[in-house]
Amino acid sequence: MTLLLKAWGAYVRVSSRWPAIASIVPFIPVVALWWAVTALEIFPRVFLPGPAEVARTFADLVYKGILPEYLADSVVRLTVGAAWGIALGIPLGILIGLSKTAHRVLWPLLLFFQAIGDIAWLPILVIWFGYGLTTMTLVIVYTVIFPIVLNTVLGVRSIPINMHRAALSLGASRPRMLWEVVLPGALPNIITGLRNGLGYGWRALIAAEIIVGTSGIGFLMFDARRAGSVVEILLGMVILGMLWYIVDSWILAPVERATGERWGLVTR
Amino acid sequence: MRLRSTLTSVLMFLAPFAVLLGLWAVLVPYFQVNPRLFPHLGAVVDAGIEAGRDGTLLAHVGASLLRVMVGTALALLLAIPLGVAMGVSPALSTFLTPLFRFFSVLAGIAWIPIATLWFGYGFGAITFVIFNAVFFIVTYNTLLGVATIPKPLRNAAASLGAGRWSMLTEVLLPGALPNIVTGIRTGLGFAWRGLIAAEMIATNVGLGYMLFVARDFYRTEVIVLGMIVIGVLWLLIDRLLLAPLERATIERWGMVQRA
Repeated sequence: MTLLLKAWGAYVRVSSRWPAIASIVPFIPVVALWWAVTALEIFPRVFLPGPAEVARTFADLVYKGILPEYLADSVVRLTVGAAWGIALGIPLGILIGLSKTAHRVLWPLLLFFQAIGDIAWLPILVIWFGYGLTTMTLVIVYTVIFPIVLNTVLGVRSIPINMHRAALSLGASRPRMLWEVVLPGALPNIITGLRNGLGYGWRALIAAEIIVGTSGIGFLMFDARRAGSVVEILLGMVILGMLWYIVDSWILAPVERATGERWGLVTR
Repeated sequence: MRLRSTLTSVLMFLAPFAVLLGLWAVLVPYFQVNPRLFPHLGAVVDAGIEAGRDGTLLAHVGASLLRVMVGTALALLLAIPLGVAMGVSPALSTFLTPLFRFFSVLAGIAWIPIATLWFGYGFGAITFVIFNAVFFIVTYNTLLGVATIPKPLRNAAASLGAGRWSMLTEVLLPGALPNIVTGIRTGLGFAWRGLIAAEMIATNVGLGYMLFVARDFYRTEVIVLGMIVIGVLWLLIDRLLLAPLERATIERWGMVQRA
């Protein structure tokens, strides 16, 4: 018992110095359990291959060049879609946040179209644009844009009216108001919206690739499903999870925290 | 007076939709849009009436809702006790947090290919996808909720002689409730999308299937009808069920978090 406690203490000390370790170590028992279950053949091998086989497939697919290409395809699609989403979403959000009329007209429509959900658009988009990049990009833009708009509106509206008045009475012009009051004030919310939007967009991308894809990680998984190869499906899942985990907790979350610390005061 | 103001706000909410429908009714015939690309308003209404009369719409909606309910109920039954149990110990909860974050990232759509292999096409696979989407997110949020209950509150309850059971029902559960409800709302949002995607691939009844089959025959009026039904259903679930629930729990128990 004391040995266990000592080991735990050492782990806590090490992981507080290098936080990255704390996000890797918990996976060791899971992988070990996975390995044990497959080694004991509780489920048939065909249905649940072990970690070693998945790693071998990973090496194999990297060597053949399929995996890097598919991964690049997925990431490019997400990036392009997200860029459009940001470019359209932030101005729209600011407009709705600042103008009462725009809010009255667009807010109900926004809520409704958000409720339809990205994936429900796939069938009709396929009819309009066929199987291809346009369809997927549109689905992602559609998914990313709503959280960004809704959060931007929230952010713009949470700026205290006195800030506007102070800036105006100090002689700020309209563009300067936008640049120095509205945008920084709404930034923490915008970043939160972006993070949510990318999370939804990532899932939408997978669904789009599964249903209309010709390449990408989602397509890899679904193609493997057709061939009945569970190894590649599991590999796809592990890659998806790891990639998003890294992007979310090592890039987006710190950015969100940093903007919150730098400009977040306004919202409180 | 109060009735009148709610009535006006409802009308204000609906007015933009009336404008949109009006534009649709006028512009689509005016530009002679090919009905294989975008349907007339009348065609969608007809499709709605027809599908409502022969009962197919009801069958699709019923199948989809049943799947969501079964999957969600199973997930909640497992997720909340598990989340509370893990959240009670701070060491355990910090250790397990990355794991649950990883799996809640994967939740939903990414499980569709393997779910269809394990359970075959049909009810099992789709319910599994929904279960998955809700389970990990709710467990993670419950864990977080229990872990963020201030230690003094638990100590106070313990020193006043609270047993394990009353600690659970009067401190841990109420304290974590706002987080749990937020988790349910997010989880259901993902589950709903996962449901539509899964139904496109893995079944022969349900809203997603209805859309996907209509696409094969270029019946855009059925597609648009399905999209409207999906939108209205989710709006009703989210605004009339989940949002009020969240607001009520946060008003009632939300203080605990800020204490």
